[in-house]
Amino acid sequence: MEEVQERERGGLLSTIGFIIREALFTGSLRYYMAAIGLILIALYGLYLWIMVQHAPIFIGSDIGGMITTAMNDSVPWGLYVSFFVFWVGVAAAGILFGIAAYVFGDKEYIKVAIFGEIQAVAAIIIVLLLIMVDIGRPIRALILMPQLPNLRSMLDWDFIVLTTYLTLNLIAAIVTIHYYRQDKPLPRKFLVPFIIIAAPFAIGIHTVTAFIFQALTARPIWNSPLMAPRFVATAFASGPALLLLALYIAERYVEEFKVSFSVYKKTLYVIVGALIVGLYFTFSEIQEIYWYTTEAAKKAQAEELFFGLHIPYLATLLWLWIGFGIAAVILGILPQVHNTKKGILTVSIFTVIAVVAEKTLTIVIPGYIPGTLGEIRPYYPTPLEIGITIGMHAIGLLVYLLLAKPALKAVVIHYFSGKGHH
Amino acid sequence: MKARDDKTGSQESNGKNEGVSRREFLKIAAITSALTFISISRDDLMKLLVPVKLEDLLMQNYGGEESSDPLEERAKEKEAELKEWCNNEAQRICRETGEESAACTEARKRCNMIKVKSTPANKGVLFAMALDVNKCIGCRRCAYACVMENNQARNLGIEWIKVLEMPRDREEIEKLDILKANMYYKEAPKPDKVYVPVACMHCENPPCVMVCPVRATWKEPDGIVIIDYDRCIGCRYCITACPYGARHFNWAKPYVPPTEINPNMHILGNVIRQPHVVEKCTWCIQRTRDGGIPACVEVCPVGARSFGDLNDEESPIRRIFEEYGAFVLKPEAGTRPKFFYFFGPRRTPPRKSSLIREGGG
Repeated sequence: MEEVQERERGGLLSTIGFIIREALFTGSLRYYMAAIGLILIALYGLYLWIMVQHAPIFIGSDIGGMITTAMNDSVPWGLYVSFFVFWVGVAAAGILFGIAAYVFGDKEYIKVAIFGEIQAVAAIIIVLLLIMVDIGRPIRALILMPQLPNLRSMLDWDFIVLTTYLTLNLIAAIVTIHYYRQDKPLPRKFLVPFIIIAAPFAIGIHTVTAFIFQALTARPIWNSPLMAPRFVATAFASGPALLLLALYIAERYVEEFKVSFSVYKKTLYVIVGALIVGLYFTFSEIQEIYWYTTEAAKKAQAEELFFGLHIPYLATLLWLWIGFGIAAVILGILPQVHNTKKGILTVSIFTVIAVVAEKTLTIVIPGYIPGTLGEIRPYYPTPLEIGITIGMHAIGLLVYLLLAKPALKAVVIHYFSGKGHH
Repeated sequence: MKARDDKTGSQESNGKNEGVSRREFLKIAAITSALTFISISRDDLMKLLVPVKLEDLLMQNYGGEESSDPLEERAKEKEAELKEWCNNEAQRICRETGEESAACTEARKRCNMIKVKSTPANKGVLFAMALDVNKCIGCRRCAYACVMENNQARNLGIEWIKVLEMPRDREEIEKLDILKANMYYKEAPKPDKVYVPVACMHCENPPCVMVCPVRATWKEPDGIVIIDYDRCIGCRYCITACPYGARHFNWAKPYVPPTEINPNMHILGNVIRQPHVVEKCTWCIQRTRDGGIPACVEVCPVGARSFGDLNDEESPIRRIFEEYGAFVLKPEAGTRPKFFYFFGPRRTPPRKSSLIREGGG
């Protein structure tokens, strides 16, 4: 009888019950306030999307439509695709903690690896939502993409790797919670296959995302095989930086939860290394564009990017990336900074700013200005686009919050309950 | 017959020492080859029996799983749907302007004439278009005719044909560049300008078709690159991939007043579009598949455009190739366009702007 009860408590279903209970029915007032705030923002974003931006599709109205965005035939992709690129990078970097924990067996990383997985889940949810609001006919896309895949189209490959990576990370997070909440260590028979499959997929999602852009002859500034490596390099800076900030917040608000300083410090090594590689790639691209190139279209687009002739914010963002990137590297090298938690968090904030500047509009927009026939139509996102983008981010954050809470609880049960395991 | 006897004889002597099966095989092979030889030498027979290419048969279904029948079915459905919509619109116009008004009768007439076709590609045809850069005066009548013919949304300002204005003076030679071209000019023709109309190039190697995630766009056997509006998901990847800016998106619900509707429609061409789908030039598929020529060719006041079948030796396109030679835009894109530019016999505006000044006083 006791054994049956034991098994029931250890079942996967009861783990899902545990997650729901922890996520929805326990928590402080602050937690509920945050969740409700995010839900309201998300609902407003969805309202804008359904009732304004996609009104002709969802409610058949004559007014509204994607014409309410600043996108046009010259600049067909805008803010949504820009942030899509950024969050793919953040998702890819989630695996870094997993590699440190499960491949190299770092005792401190094992305690926090699950947050990398949850970050990947939340980031990919933002990614998929941004694609959903960007596509003109999302329901048709859901029906047709599995039926009529075109394996020459990188969008299909991206869809495949993104959904696979999402599933992998979701499974990993649930399994981790499942074992930790029963105060059991993760079994090797789960860890080994997970890391073997998930690590290449992490690189894969960002590589395929870069492949969407880099193989197009019509857009010369994207047409560089350095795009995918640069994406991955800066992803490994921004993802861990965001993760460190999230861990710090968790440490502050959950008393029992403690993160070893070695996690902060070792992650900083990766951030600084990745930033150096990313900056080096930018430097290499500058040489390619300005030294010998006689390709007029590429030069014109690069001038738009570096000097912002018609869209000043592009140049601002690019120099923000270079400036904050170099600043973060220098700060990270200084011993006064990398030996204190506060210093490492500062470097993380610098890194996030730098990579947001590097991997959003600065990637997408220069490919369209000037356009294929030399037309210059400056793109400034409308408030509607910004609102919908924020709404989709709110959904992602909400997912993060709802998954991180049970995960924290499970980690605390396993590692910090004072039973003296570790 | 003589040839056959000779062949078998010589081969029998060659293969005498080898196995029976080999000899038999050679015999059959020789007979078959001789028979083929006889049949293909009969020129008069060829006039009666037209050769069929396997590729033509296989390419019939290229790009889509559906054969022509479902397409016909869809065209019928679309026709009924459009007629209903059009009649409602016409009803509204009649209520507003009175039953006797010209707008009312025109709208009613056009609504009743709506016909949505699904004409498949003609066998062995490969369409191409050519444009005489020396003749083009940049009047943009082609762009206007295109909007009218192809039921383009009047509320969205979509134009499939863009005309680029570039300087032709030697002093401004560095401005002779697509990147510095002006497509928003107000007056034409100007003596010191050259005009280069650009629309879909109907590439042999179209990047837009490669990138489509749902195979909603493909190259038809007659070379026309088309979009299935019922399949397009509006991701706009093809707009990004096209090096000629030929593809356009319906950013809102498109509207064409019934008084301006072109009732001659093709399901893959100029049916009234839906919101949030991509569209592009189809070389007036509703006309050309039935033996007509595209509206832009027909309307051009200086006859700068020619359209025809590349496989037909009598077609104007072939003459242009032979007499003037053809050029393509952006060859570095490697898309092998089937829209050609050529330099015809005479420049309509004089070569030098100074001549105009002298003549004018």
